[in-house]
Amino acid sequence: MGTKYNYRRDASRLFIAVRENGKRFKIYIPKDSKPVIDGEEKDIDFLEQEDFHYTFDWNGKKFHCELVSRDQNKAVIKVNGVEYRYSLESIFSYIRRGMINNPDKQLNENNIYSPMPGKIVDLFLSEGDLVNEGEPILSLEAMKMQNEICANCNGVIRKIKVQTGQSVMKDELLVEITSIDE
Amino acid sequence: MKKKLLIANRSEIAIRIIRSAHKLGMLAVVFQSDKEPDALYLKYADEIIAAKDNGNEKSIFLDADRIVKLALENNIDLIHPGYGFLSENPDFAELCVSNSINFIGPSPQLIRDMGLKTVAKSMAIEAGLPLVPGSDGPVKDAKAAKEFADKIGYPVILKASAGGGGRGMRIVEKADTIERHFKSASDEAKAAFGNGDMFIEKYLQNPKHLEFQIMGDKHGNVIHLGERECSLQRKHQKILEEAPSASVTPAMRKEMGDMAVRFAKAIGYYSAGTIEFIMDEDGSYFFMEMNTRIQVEHPVTEMITGVDLVDWQIRVALGEEITLKQKDIKITGWAIECRVNTEDPQNRFSPQTGFIDKIHFPMKDYIRIETGVQSGSVVTPYFDSMIAKIIVHGKDRADVIEKTLDALYEFSLIGLKTTVPFCRTVLKHPEFVSATYTTRWVDSVFTPEMLENDEDEMMGALAATIMYASEYLQLSSDTPSYKNDLLNVWVLNKRLNY
Repeated sequence: MGTKYNYRRDASRLFIAVRENGKRFKIYIPKDSKPVIDGEEKDIDFLEQEDFHYTFDWNGKKFHCELVSRDQNKAVIKVNGVEYRYSLESIFSYIRRGMINNPDKQLNENNIYSPMPGKIVDLFLSEGDLVNEGEPILSLEAMKMQNEICANCNGVIRKIKVQTGQSVMKDELLVEITSIDE
Repeated sequence: MKKKLLIANRSEIAIRIIRSAHKLGMLAVVFQSDKEPDALYLKYADEIIAAKDNGNEKSIFLDADRIVKLALENNIDLIHPGYGFLSENPDFAELCVSNSINFIGPSPQLIRDMGLKTVAKSMAIEAGLPLVPGSDGPVKDAKAAKEFADKIGYPVILKASAGGGGRGMRIVEKADTIERHFKSASDEAKAAFGNGDMFIEKYLQNPKHLEFQIMGDKHGNVIHLGERECSLQRKHQKILEEAPSASVTPAMRKEMGDMAVRFAKAIGYYSAGTIEFIMDEDGSYFFMEMNTRIQVEHPVTEMITGVDLVDWQIRVALGEEITLKQKDIKITGWAIECRVNTEDPQNRFSPQTGFIDKIHFPMKDYIRIETGVQSGSVVTPYFDSMIAKIIVHGKDRADVIEKTLDALYEFSLIGLKTTVPFCRTVLKHPEFVSATYTTRWVDSVFTPEMLENDEDEMMGALAATIMYASEYLQLSSDTPSYKNDLLNVWVLNKRLNY
């Protein structure tokens, strides 16, 4: 398969850093590859790692980052001599808080319904997993054809309503996804 | 026997002078102040005099009597005052001379004359230097002020004769408000200084600060080494300088340079000196004052002329004749100096004190570093916030701007904030790039938000996230480790939880 998905399963490695001015960064730190920032893998290397201080190299440019202060989930980082303030949270708490803050806005809900009657033959992901837009979530067999049902956004699988082997009707709710797209 | 040169100064300039002393075969002697007993410059000196200034109100560098007393006890031949402190104190120079110590600088009388603005200005007029149009003495009353202002044109500035600190000072934009402003400023001055006399002068709205470096000897020879532009200032202190200036054409350089030399010759000046000009937007320029010392920004001139100014200061003090002729002075390329001050540009340049955990300077053959600190140094509140200077030489202005930016990105200091990000912001700003910046830039253009940029912001978010994630995940064996092992990140987090 040629498609490369930036987000791997482990949603606990996805964080949101919010600056004082409201600017947000979605930062995913995979186990074995480079960081994914706002959905894009960045070719960033570590040059130096010391206590309270990292130096990164990105496209040949150096970034000296120094922890200035830290209070719970708030951090002040000096980058190349200039201070920036961030508050940090895991994607779970971010989603939770986001839903509390916008109770009437259900924009983040991206539910997937069965496009046709059929049988679930395979589930590729589990609840709590991170999924990429266009990434297959499950396989649905209908009229002797296997159809991959794909995610319609980047997000976290909140609920899987079906099991392998189960028959479903057209328009039956299959999966609930919480989008992490802006 | 080797001559002994005492440096009545500290930090980077002490080290700079030590270098010249050694080159000229002298022993360099410095003071060890109790206010910074482990300072870096002490390492470079041949002899150290313990100043024992702990209980004293003044540090040794401001205590003329003690300096001369200790100099005599230690058989000092010459004293170099550096810049700041007592470098332009005529009484100190006189005290050195009267005790037969060779003071490296001009004659005490000239230091005195140049320190008195009115005396300096009348000497400048005599030598034919242009001055900002203004009243020669106090103006009689509001009506006379208006008549005068109408003649020289608006805006004008009203200044109390006895004034200072902005009191009794008014900038008047147009004719119909001058009488009112005159009255209120005069009343203010009367209340504050007991003297309501007012001067009037043309006010330059967007001036540039230019200065010519001159060098003279005790045999009447004087040359100039071109100009520097020091328009970039905050709180009236320079922070980034360049040489030459893009606002000075070769014809102007000759005209202004000749003027500076003529002035220096007329007053019988010797040693290094700087003649400051203020330049209006239309290119007209006026004499401001003369500095009778080596200046912080002297390296930019050294970079483009190849002349060692401190060497010559010492040689002139010894009575040597300057062998360089004006026609030998060629300007090659362009140089920029960035001052590294421990100040917070995000917070109105408030001074920062404390430990420098780690400092790293760029190293290239076209970069000159003058530093008074190293990793582990302490920045105390007792002295100036300037800890180092980064001077870069390029083949032209565009080249040096690019090289300086690279150098400033290479620089890092862990522990304190500095003016380096500010200098980067300046170097990238269109008004600097087009060389149209003026002394008002910091007040009228600069905002702290200009220090930020999207890339730094994103990398800061990444650093913050890695620090947070390492704690959040609490998985020392299953850490996010791309390319390098991130194990010591977890060490960090243990420390964070103290």
